[in-house]
Amino acid sequence: MDKFRMIFQFLQSNQESFMNGICGIMALASAQMYSAFDFNCPCLPGYNAAYSAGILLAPPLVLFLLGLVMNNNVSMLAEEWKRPLGRRAKDPAVLRYMFCSMAQRALIAPVVWVAVTLLDGKCFLCAFCTTVPVSLLGNGSLVPGLPQPELARLLARVPCPEIYEGDWLLAREVAVRYLRCISQALGWSFVLLTTLLAFVVRSVRPCFTQAAFLKSKYWSHYIDIERKLFDETCTEHARAFAKVCIQQFFEAMNHDLELGHAHGALATGPTGSAAPAATEGADEEREKLRGITDQGTMNRLLTSWHECKPPLRLGQEEPLVGNGWAGGGPRPSRKEVATYFSKV
Amino acid sequence: MDKFRTLFQHFQSSSESVMNGICLLLAMVTVKLYSSFNFNCPCLARYNALYGLGLLFTPPIALFLCGLLANRQSMVMVEEWRRPGGHRRKDPGIIRYLCSSVLQRALAAPLIWILLALLDGKCFVCAFSSSVDPEKFLDFANMTPSQVQLFLAKVPCKEDELVRNSPARKAVSRYLRCLSQAIGWSLALLLIVLAFLARCLRPCFDQTIFLQRRYWSNYVDLEQKLFDETCCEHARDFAHRCVLHFFASMQSEMRARGLRRDSAGRGPETPERPEPPEGLDGGSGKAHLRAISSQEQVDHLLSTWYSSKPPLDLTASSGLWGCGLSHRAPTVVPGTRASPHTDV
Repeated sequence: MDKFRMIFQFLQSNQESFMNGICGIMALASAQMYSAFDFNCPCLPGYNAAYSAGILLAPPLVLFLLGLVMNNNVSMLAEEWKRPLGRRAKDPAVLRYMFCSMAQRALIAPVVWVAVTLLDGKCFLCAFCTTVPVSLLGNGSLVPGLPQPELARLLARVPCPEIYEGDWLLAREVAVRYLRCISQALGWSFVLLTTLLAFVVRSVRPCFTQAAFLKSKYWSHYIDIERKLFDETCTEHARAFAKVCIQQFFEAMNHDLELGHAHGALATGPTGSAAPAATEGADEEREKLRGITDQGTMNRLLTSWHECKPPLRLGQEEPLVGNGWAGGGPRPSRKEVATYFSKV
Repeated sequence: MDKFRTLFQHFQSSSESVMNGICLLLAMVTVKLYSSFNFNCPCLARYNALYGLGLLFTPPIALFLCGLLANRQSMVMVEEWRRPGGHRRKDPGIIRYLCSSVLQRALAAPLIWILLALLDGKCFVCAFSSSVDPEKFLDFANMTPSQVQLFLAKVPCKEDELVRNSPARKAVSRYLRCLSQAIGWSLALLLIVLAFLARCLRPCFDQTIFLQRRYWSNYVDLEQKLFDETCCEHARDFAHRCVLHFFASMQSEMRARGLRRDSAGRGPETPERPEPPEGLDGGSGKAHLRAISSQEQVDHLLSTWYSSKPPLDLTASSGLWGCGLSHRAPTVVPGTRASPHTDV
């Protein structure tokens, strides 16, 4: 269980590793979906090709877009692209890196679907059964006697064993074997091609612009983590705000009631001594508020987070409402003065 | 068990994760429900469409309502919508944000049901078998129209005597399933494209307003939860005091009765227990809950919470709620600038 927890935490550590996990799950889901899906060739001349093309292309597109939608980086990319410049410059290399990394991960599940479809062969069989070379595989001599639509109608039923009536022209098994063989060859070539491409891209990339790549990777992770931490801080702040608000509400009610009922030992006496105990807990919560204690200020904070992100330079306290110039001048050096006291 | 706990903790980390977890759970329940449901087409002329379409649309409606019920935020949204304005201005943007977030999550399970039903095909075949055009299929050439209708109505039932092992039935069934799957995949594609566009394009519009609304929606949710917790705490405190008060008064009553009945030889007993307040509030520090100590006061507190929520401004001192309007200009209150150095 420890191992599981470690893996879980590792995958959660940043968006990229999380997306790797999601990618793996989607690839498995893609293969599972294919096996659960009941392929149902219409066996009608005009519809076969359309159905097969649809099954070969629509699910991969759905899986690709799903992979992008599930990736939080998509909205992060869009935000980073559209934000005003503020005091932080935008680096197009970082945006490109984010986009490439997202697209690469989202492509895995569609590739798995296409590969599994081709290797299985049903889709290919359905699409190309009317273009089988009858002269090569069956009784080619009977072909000229048949009108074209009749031939097409006969051959279109090859994928459906229970309604196929063309055994006199072409044995069904022969056609199926032929088309499946081609389909599997295509499937394996596709797999080989994609793995080769992935390998080449991965191994050749360090030969080009490795320094720039490292920089883009770092700042892309930084933006992701910064956004997550900002959201967490906002949630923490909201929680502290709510706690203090509710405490104040109860205190006000308390106060009103004590003023209203002037009698009673309950209301007077221990009030003074208990008040410091109440404010201790409140102080801790107030610290978490970091000085932002009303709606207007919070809204201003959120606005300036989007419109004018702070510069990537720590250790300088510049007021948030600055003049937009990101380059702070050097601080005036402090003069050190040594004073001598002579005991003369 | 440990695995479950880790997963559970991950999903509990924020209220959004909780809702996503519930959404996922509901989706899995939908898939399981669909696969275990025993589809049973009536194969009678007028009832087919009713059954098929009913099964296609009724469970999604029920699942949608379940999704709304299971989501705590829907209640929060309705409360926020219906509360009186009081000291806190209502922001329709927040209500809209909550509404869209609740609807998105509630729509996941119904859409999964509809997609599964379409990709499986049984519902569609059952509902539309009687409306197929017999001209498309050559096998119906030598049947009277009423015979054709009877036949078509029985197409969904494979085992029926009339249509068993009939190639015409298989052809019609195949055609309808193919159509159903095409519609299913098109719907899936449409939905995913919409989701993708919504995710990508959202940052292009009003990002600052979005950040504000997200923050304050989260705040409203947290505040509701914390208020419930504080009320529970208060109720526990109230009950504790009530019970101790009762015991103390019973004890003093018995002593008084005992003193009256016995002679004065008993002498002074151990000194009377001090009044409940000190014993109860000694270490708890919940002084602000003390004065609220009767049913009417609690009712008054709860109705005040509903009818006039406190303003979103923690620097306003208690009781001065007349001027605590939250839409005043943000620069009015000094010392609440969004800078980290307010509390030194």
